[in-house]
Amino acid sequence: MVLEANTDHWNRERGPRLERVVYRNDIPHAEALDKVCNTEGEIDLVSEVSPEEAQKVEDSRYAHLVSIDALRVVSGLINRNAGFMDDVRVRKALNLAVDRDRMINEVFKGYAHPVAAMAPPYSGGAPEGVEPYPHDPAEAGRLLSEAGWPEGRALRLATTSDVEAVARRMAGDFRDSLGIEVEIVEIPDEDLIPAQKALVEKNLPLPFDVLAHAWFDLAAGYPPAVIHREYFHSAGAFRAGPPLEEFEELMGRSVVETDGQKLGELGKQIDRLVHDEALNVFLCCPMALVAVNNEVKFTGHAATLELAETEVGEGHWSRRNND
Amino acid sequence: MVQASQCAPEGGARTPVGTVTVVDPHPLNWLYITWNTMEEPVRTDERGNIVGAAMEDSHWEDATLVVKVREGVRFQDGELLTAHSIKRAFDEVQKWKAPHPPGTYLNFHPDTRAHCPDDYTIRFDFPEPDGLALAKFRGFHIPSTRFWEEEGFGYRKLGTGEGHW
Repeated sequence: MVLEANTDHWNRERGPRLERVVYRNDIPHAEALDKVCNTEGEIDLVSEVSPEEAQKVEDSRYAHLVSIDALRVVSGLINRNAGFMDDVRVRKALNLAVDRDRMINEVFKGYAHPVAAMAPPYSGGAPEGVEPYPHDPAEAGRLLSEAGWPEGRALRLATTSDVEAVARRMAGDFRDSLGIEVEIVEIPDEDLIPAQKALVEKNLPLPFDVLAHAWFDLAAGYPPAVIHREYFHSAGAFRAGPPLEEFEELMGRSVVETDGQKLGELGKQIDRLVHDEALNVFLCCPMALVAVNNEVKFTGHAATLELAETEVGEGHWSRRNND
Repeated sequence: MVQASQCAPEGGARTPVGTVTVVDPHPLNWLYITWNTMEEPVRTDERGNIVGAAMEDSHWEDATLVVKVREGVRFQDGELLTAHSIKRAFDEVQKWKAPHPPGTYLNFHPDTRAHCPDDYTIRFDFPEPDGLALAKFRGFHIPSTRFWEEEGFGYRKLGTGEGHW
């Protein structure tokens, strides 16, 4: 697919600055990454670089790495319909059992931010004074015991292939911090659509206690519209548990609030409620990583792969070839 | 490594030069291409904040959102974007129950009506105030007449716009 510049676009100050953008989404990711790192003139920009691949880009003489705070959030979706998971002490125990710093360093190679609830800390929607749950195995174990978690009851932790490393790290923390067995339920890629349907259509009972899950927002400012709503609202696609009266009331006030400042405050109240009730296992907000040719000046955007401000230097292959 | 926010800020008119080749395996790459090519009332800035695009300004009058349309916006085919372009897009999207792949949260209330008192003003009469209207504008694509007549969002190939907006 080829995009050509609209030279009559109204926003001349912003762009377009490129004559042409060529999308080559038919090239496999690994091959594309090899080309951007090891050649010039073939691929200029590759998105969705994994944390494991980041060093390869950092070591490249042709490309550099751009990291973007991309309004993404990874969490453990708690199935509150499952036994014991409706108890806030159990949910807090799971949150206190997780070592977020270790997860960010080991799984995300540092390319992620810890998060206190579901609003990314840089989104403008995170409430002031609410911190991520600390890694506190002693308190986690006390809460789990107080809630009466049965001896020998294994926690069922489900995962899809894209977040499997997150699930395995979480499982390690649950085992080490809580002294419980964790059964990892892998959802094969070929079963993904039926599994998504079961979650969205609320076909009970769901075969997990916690599901490792990644989601995103399409704009900053009011994360509940796209994040909290999907996980916890009565109309939310990922809700796994009964609706919460206080959450419904806050969302009900939000949807008719046309004052931006008041809407933002309601969003923070919703995030605080979600934190206090430990409705998910809150993990982190991964960055989006993009490999970019050294002669390309790319302006990363939080909520999209925008190219309006992107430009190329005089040494770029496409300009040299035109000389 | 470069943090995105440290890159070149917006500003500085210039003549487009050069070609870049992109591989974007993100599941929403189709949406990102749409945002790179179509007009919307609003867009998001580098940090994801909603800012005006084809919409220059807006305000609420009870349950009515009054939108001032930016003058001087032209589509790629030369057609001028006016309030009537936005009304056409609104009437098209309202035909469908689930037009947006990301979800029905981007829908406007089915009883919402739009009308244009002049070429650069459009009024959206909602049954009740919609606090998320501006966020929904991000997924409200505004193409030229030629797009509707020749393609639509899958209308010609698939006969429906459900899930294709």
